[in-house]
Amino acid sequence: MAQSNELQTGLYKRALLAGLWEQNPTFRLLIGMCPPLAVTTAVKPALTMGLSVIFVLVCSNFVTSLMRNLLKPHLRIIMFTLNIATFVTICDLYLRAYLPRMSEILGAYVPLIIVNCIIIFRCEACASKCGLMVSILDAIGMGLGFTIALCILASIRELLATGCIFDLRVMPRGFVPWLAMQMPVGAFVTLGLLLGLASVLTRKKRS
Amino acid sequence: MPKIKYFIQQSWLLIVSSFCFGLLIAASNAALSPRIELNLANKLNKLTIVLLPAAKQFMPLDADIEVEVRGGKKEKIKLYKALSETEQCVGWSFKAAGEGFSGKLELVVAVDKNFEKIAGFDVLTSSETPGFGDQIKMSYFRSQFAGAPVEELTVVKTGQPTNIDSEIVAITGATVSSEAVVNILNSFLSSIKKQMKEKGLLGDGTK
Repeated sequence: MAQSNELQTGLYKRALLAGLWEQNPTFRLLIGMCPPLAVTTAVKPALTMGLSVIFVLVCSNFVTSLMRNLLKPHLRIIMFTLNIATFVTICDLYLRAYLPRMSEILGAYVPLIIVNCIIIFRCEACASKCGLMVSILDAIGMGLGFTIALCILASIRELLATGCIFDLRVMPRGFVPWLAMQMPVGAFVTLGLLLGLASVLTRKKRS
Repeated sequence: MPKIKYFIQQSWLLIVSSFCFGLLIAASNAALSPRIELNLANKLNKLTIVLLPAAKQFMPLDADIEVEVRGGKKEKIKLYKALSETEQCVGWSFKAAGEGFSGKLELVVAVDKNFEKIAGFDVLTSSETPGFGDQIKMSYFRSQFAGAPVEELTVVKTGQPTNIDSEIVAITGATVSSEAVVNILNSFLSSIKKQMKEKGLLGDGTK
């Protein structure tokens, strides 16, 4: 009994932690790359996007896990899409009502969460096969991993492009802002360097 | 008959969940849409009050006013009548949209009560290049429009921005964005003015 409990705790722990580093969607799996490139000009929109993805991931994994035994193999993708689209629409409406400024900055990228492959990937790989608890923990882990990745990218770009983080001045007065960091080129360069760093760190860990 | 039975057997989950998800979205929309509309109206009012300081409230006009947008399509626009504390007309405001350098550009424009002088404009949404095109939001560029006549505006590359006339001095390095603003204003102002004259809405401004 104690052994099975331990096994379960280990399973929960793995589900929660996998998304943070080992299977981090942005740095390790390179899926759902649109938001990391598009909404990371500042930390606030990146954080809002990350939290929205966590909400959608948790809700869609929860619903998919509940109906996993009823899913017909050839209709599963359409069920996932329906499910994800519903929660994204609710999230979009909520942002427009309570965080209009963020909704404006994020623009089309909130409705585009529907086609973010992290969510459909987790529905397919985890929620449609695992129990409720594991699915929810997996969603939280993956969502947090994604949010942290977005925030790291955004803080580097915001710091270099404006000298501020969260609208608070960090750089000294004489700092010349690197405007290119606010443009797509800044996103590609920062992401490329961070991916390289992630790769070096993983290799070091392995060896 | 067996075909229908087979169809329902296969897709009952899809049909039931579509219905449930639809209900969920409808309920969220019903709960949040008043707040979303209020947010939009507040934003427009906040920007317009800065442009027309004498205005205390804005009344939407019932008359149908259409403006030709890109591709020759006609679009209905909402014109607001700005009223002072004593309910006198102090000007008009409307939302104008067009193509900027890198995407849609939405402006809020205010004019005086006789539609003779522009009171000013502000940017609602833009995706112009940071540091260059997005300077259309800056007051040094916008102040050229406050008091400019409602006639064909032209963009010039050199000149004195402090002179208030129909010549608008372009932002250095962002001629396309400057032209985009002027083009939007030109097309909206002339066609709105023409239609208002036809409908007899101009003159004493009280009708």
